[in-house]
Parts: sequence; C-alpha cells; structure tokens
Amino acid sequence: MIAIQLADVDIGDLIRAAKKHGTGAVIVFDGVVRDDDITEMELEAYEDIAKQELQNIAKDATEQFRLLQVDIIHRIGCLAVGENILVIVVAAGHREEAYAGSRYIIEAIKAGVPIWKKELTKNGGRWVPGEHGHGRPKTS
Amino acid sequence: MTVKIRFFARFRELLGTDIMTDVVAGMMFSSLITTIAKKNPEGYDAIFDEKGTFREFVILMKNGKRIDIADAAKTPVEDGDEIAVFPPVAGG
Repeated sequence: MIAIQLADVDIGDLIRAAKKHGTGAVIVFDGVVRDDDITEMELEAYEDIAKQELQNIAKDATEQFRLLQVDIIHRIGCLAVGENILVIVVAAGHREEAYAGSRYIIEAIKAGVPIWKKELTKNGGRWVPGEHGHGRPKTS
Repeated sequence: MTVKIRFFARFRELLGTDIMTDVVAGMMFSSLITTIAKKNPEGYDAIFDEKGTFREFVILMKNGKRIDIADAAKTPVEDGDEIAVFPPVAGG
C-alpha cells in the first residue's frame, strides 16, 4: 500500500499483511509529530506527484534490497502531537535487507518527495525547512 | 492557450494555487512565473532574487518533471501544461 491520506493507518494490520512466505524480518518506521512546543502540525503534498515518487522509491528499494513487501503511508492535513505522520513497513527475508531498505526509503522521502510541514504554535506558524535543497536526482 | 500554475507551502500562502491563466504562444516558464509572482511583492521576493532570477532553492516542475532553474528561461509553456513551483521539500 502506497498512499498519501488524511486518515491514520492501523500499523498492526500492515505488519500482519507483510508476513508473507519467505519473510524473516519486518521493520516498521513510524514518524510522529514531535512535541517541539507546537500546538499541531499541518502537512501539505503535491499529491499526484508525491504518490508517484513514493511508488518509484518503493520499487527502487524492493529491487535493491530484495524486499518482499513495502508499505508507505504519508499523512497530510492537521495532526496533533504524537500522531503518526509517516508509516513505512518493509518485509524481507533477513534483517540486513529489511533495515537497509527501510533506511533507504525514509532518506529518499526526505530528499525529494514534494511534501511540506508547517508547525503551528501559539504565536503563529513556521514552515519546516527542507534538508536537501533540490533533493533526489532525477531518475527519469 | 491555458496553463495551470500550482504553488505549494509558503509560496501557496503568498500567491495562491491552481491558478488557470491564458498565455501567448512561445511564453517561457520563467516569464510566466515572473508575471504571476509580481501580483504579490512578498511572493515575488520569496521566489526571485534581486536580479530577477529564481532563488537557488526554488524547485520547478512542468507536468511532473523537474526543470532546472538554468533551463527555465528557455523552456516554453504549452496549452494544458501544469506548472509547479515550490520550496525545498520537508516530508517524512
């Protein structure tokens, strides 16, 4: 499942679905809204493009790390402190591939997928600066 | 000839988004964005430097493909194009 959505996701369901024939390791990355003295966080995406880029990242990771399952769910909208922002579930035959694949996916998302966060505080709001400037090199 | 311009994040707050605009044949990407951005000085300053060129961090897309800033002045926009302009991404 690759999705950009308002709703939260049941991580337990994703883990259960990831346990396929041959699975020896499932890694879950759960990015949550940190309590940085904010009231809530607003997330915005260039949805069509972001979803396509998530699909490309999942495909690249699957091929590179021999993953058996990849789920990426990135939420948008208004989220409270502690809520899930991004859930990545990967399954592989062994832990090395699972850890490496999960790490590859989160770093690729941070580098180039068109999604933005605004931290809302009692005094207004501030856009979270991107870490990567022009981001992931073009693959097509 | 009509194109759609989409700004995101801070640029959207300053300039709006999903802007449908008529353009003349042969108009270039950078000219189009300059014209639209000039409607709000703060929006213009967020995207362009004092020489009128795109700020280094600005990301440009045409129909989902990234356009290098260096190519924006020689990239024509065409009927039905979706043009996107946004600051560095910060997902995850």
